[in-house]
Amino acid sequence: MRTSRPVLRLRNLSRRIGHTDNTRIIIDSVSFDFERQKIYTILGPSGAGKSSLLRLINRLDEPTGGEVTLEGKPQCDYSPCDLRRKVGYLFQTPHLFPGSVRDNLLYACSDLSEEEIRTLAEQSHLKTEMVDRSADALSVGEKQRVALARLLATKPTLALLDEPTSALDPAHTAGIESLIRELANQRGLTVIMVTHTPEQALRMGGESLLLVSGRLAEHGPCDRVVNYPQTESGRMYQRKELR
Amino acid sequence: MNSIGFTEVLIALSLVLLSIVVSRYWKIPVQKDMALGSVRAFVQLVAVGYALKYIFALDSVWVVLLVIMVMILVGAQAASGRVTGIRRGFVITSVAMTMGSLLTLGAMLLLGVITLEARFVIPLAGMIIGNSMNASALTVNRISADIRNNRLAIETALALGKSWREATLPYQKEAAVAGMLSMLNFMKTVGIVALPGAMTGMILAGAEPFDAVMLQIVVGYMLLCAVTITSVVALELTVRRFFTSCHQLVLPMD
Ligand SMILES: Nc1ncnc2c1ncn2[C@@H]1O[C@H](COP(=O)(O)OP(=O)(O)OP(=O)(O)O)[C@@H](O)[C@H]1O
Ligand SMILES: [Mg+2]
Repeated sequence: MRTSRPVLRLRNLSRRIGHTDNTRIIIDSVSFDFERQKIYTILGPSGAGKSSLLRLINRLDEPTGGEVTLEGKPQCDYSPCDLRRKVGYLFQTPHLFPGSVRDNLLYACSDLSEEEIRTLAEQSHLKTEMVDRSADALSVGEKQRVALARLLATKPTLALLDEPTSALDPAHTAGIESLIRELANQRGLTVIMVTHTPEQALRMGGESLLLVSGRLAEHGPCDRVVNYPQTESGRMYQRKELR
Repeated sequence: MNSIGFTEVLIALSLVLLSIVVSRYWKIPVQKDMALGSVRAFVQLVAVGYALKYIFALDSVWVVLLVIMVMILVGAQAASGRVTGIRRGFVITSVAMTMGSLLTLGAMLLLGVITLEARFVIPLAGMIIGNSMNASALTVNRISADIRNNRLAIETALALGKSWREATLPYQKEAAVAGMLSMLNFMKTVGIVALPGAMTGMILAGAEPFDAVMLQIVVGYMLLCAVTITSVVALELTVRRFFTSCHQLVLPMD
């Protein structure tokens, strides 16, 4: 089932920081509609504002201009806590709380049944016996999957993933990538994933957005954004002239 | 024991001289500090003695309250000088110390444990304020350092839909304990390791040991209450500085 209404709509979204005489624009008037159950990758050089954009969508930072609309309702009409449970956010470096994997899942949602915990673990490709392991005894890849399972525990409609594979080797990267595709296809999740490698954007499929200096320089099907950019900054990014 | 006057003080000064000689012999570079410190202590305490004498003679409730407020503000200023990592710490320490001190003293007055006489209230307020001063500085420093050092953990909790209060709960607990710890330790060892000042003073002044002990127990409970309120208020005010009404973490001062 496809609804024409976008799940997330950004209109002239901006964030500037600093005081009157010394401001910096981190996100510059970004407008975009994200449709339900699709995968979006956000590309861009380091410091382009990729993480900052995700923070605005999760409302960890306050926009200084423009608006974010989630499922037809302005961001500020949600209580921040409700909003964030709908908009899961996986940080660039995952943090697990002290305790077991189970404790971490229960922290996100305290009334999970045993059944649900098992399902979450399975969906995130975690072995069932792992649930009782201590969180700080896990490998980086396992931590990343626990953080993903924990994010799913709040039953979000949207998942913001900030470079979920940046700390992983190629084998684990492929595992996480297929896991994310599965989540979008089977759980009906809309995924917005930051990546700094165009190859990964192509592997994920779906649409890509290219951010350069806080501006949305390019957007469209991933193949076009990566291989046939329409704008000057898009071509510079393709030639790896933007760091 | 005779009452102690200026003659006795002058004789006791020989102990300062002895300390200076000893430290000079072992080349401990503190002679100047010792000399200055002794003079300062003498001047300050004599001044306080005269001030108290005058205030006791006035016997006015308003003067007592004024003195207490001045003591709290001076103490809060000293505490905020020890606060690092947060701006306008004075606002926090003064509010926390005022609430801790006045609520405790007020409760004791209302319950009739003490009477509103300068000779009771001012020394008690002095002890309370001294302890709240430490508690507020320790609590503020601990919680602001913990919030700064645990940004990722706190924002992870926020991103999972937790409120700022839930997200900082583990750090709040530790900071409150840090503020109260010296008081809790004091209660454990009191009478065994050391005799507390109020009691010692009363005994030296010729009171019955049992009366002195009773007073000391009351003082101990008062201090505990004052320190608890001060820590909790300081904690609450400090944590709020780090969050917006939309549960966003902002680090003041950078
Ligand atoms: N709180 C802040 N104070 C000052 N500058 C900030 C703040 N947050 C972000 N910035 C700046 O905003 C810009 C965008 O940062 P952001 O972290 O969004 O980049 P990014 O695209 O995620 O980069 P990377 O690929 O390295 O993670 C950077 O120049 C960064 O220094
Ligand atoms: Mg980033």
